[in-house]
Amino acid sequence: MVSPDHDRIEELLAGYVLLGLTGEDAEEADLLLSEHVPSCALCREALSGFQSVAGELGLAAPPAAPPDLLLPRIRRELEQPAVRRHRGVSFVAVAASVALLVGLAGLSFSLGNRVSKAEAQRGTLLEAVSAMQQSGTNPVALENQGSASGGLAEISAPNIQHMYIFGQEVAPPAPGHAYQLWLGSNGTFVPAGEMFTPEDGRVVLELTFDPSPYDSILITEEAAGATPSTPSSSLRWSASLVPAA
Amino acid sequence: MREDDHLDLELHRRVADGDRAAFEELYRRYSAAAYGLALRVTGQDSLAQEVVHDAFLALWRAPEAYDPARGPFRTFFLSLVHHRAVDTVRREERLRKRAERVANLEPRLGEDVAEEVVDGAYLVVRRKEVHEALETLPPDQRKVVEMAYFGGYTQTRIAAELGIPVGTVKTRTLAAMHKLRRALDREDRW
Repeated sequence: MVSPDHDRIEELLAGYVLLGLTGEDAEEADLLLSEHVPSCALCREALSGFQSVAGELGLAAPPAAPPDLLLPRIRRELEQPAVRRHRGVSFVAVAASVALLVGLAGLSFSLGNRVSKAEAQRGTLLEAVSAMQQSGTNPVALENQGSASGGLAEISAPNIQHMYIFGQEVAPPAPGHAYQLWLGSNGTFVPAGEMFTPEDGRVVLELTFDPSPYDSILITEEAAGATPSTPSSSLRWSASLVPAA
Repeated sequence: MREDDHLDLELHRRVADGDRAAFEELYRRYSAAAYGLALRVTGQDSLAQEVVHDAFLALWRAPEAYDPARGPFRTFFLSLVHHRAVDTVRREERLRKRAERVANLEPRLGEDVAEEVVDGAYLVVRRKEVHEALETLPPDQRKVVEMAYFGGYTQTRIAAELGIPVGTVKTRTLAAMHKLRRALDREDRW
């Protein structure tokens, strides 16, 4: 058995925590983080130390007061329906279910066990597939409404009040824009979750809410950073929701 | 563990229980540090605002992402902000002027004045320790760390920008991280 080259591993871990790896280095780091590091006390300790440094380095930036409107905006979003709060469930379940956008779950993973974003995405997709196998789950195709290319599918499972939305080969929005999901009821729509953009053409969203009041969903293209209260006319995808039994 | 770290832990525990007041207290304690970091990385007010907005919402929606066994809350949260800021920079890079980012790698004059105003007392102390730790690095090591951390550059990009082999970037990065770790560990045993 070949003993691991810990100097090389530490070099990769240092680059990893600074988000500086690409290509083969990034792939090697992902492999190490999933296969070697968890079982190697030396590497775990190195990773933990480097992560701590990376967190502290944030203090090297001069502090700056955020705009006064930011906190009120956050407060408003805390009231939105697509908020899920669970405690005491297993890490795997949490990682696959707490985030609206799987990129967020990926980050949670990376700060915890350093599992790659791709693995987090796979976790959410597996959960979605599992939901599809349950009675009462309703796969719905989102109809492309405009120039945006790519397919988005929605799967909801009324009993567990989850909705997964995923797509591939999804075109990016126009520069300076992002996609926004809306939940509709009798023609009135509320924004659900954060705006999102495809990552490498992929979109994986998970939402948790009571779907019964809603009869449709829309995805529109909005100016990034805006906080629209109604959908713009830039409708990209839409679907009817099957009412919960 | 310092007193402020204990307070952060307690606030985080309350946030995990859905306590909005605790959430707002964490916002009060960390929004300036988070916004300053996001601004330094992204170089744009609007992008920095998005980063901080998203980070705080992520904290509210997934508080269990922070594991107290892994260290102070502040390192978790600033890492969260940093990840999002770098992701944002890389996504938005094509829309940005390169010159703005290069200029943004250098601290702006007069910014230390704001520090006392917007930071809590403990963060002021810790910030000073971080600056001092960075000052101990040889300039070539400090440069690669700052380009990666605040510029969002990959190691390949740093090598190209500095005209040095990627292997040298890796070596300098590792040496710098070891030195920073030793310097900061001395000051803050968890």
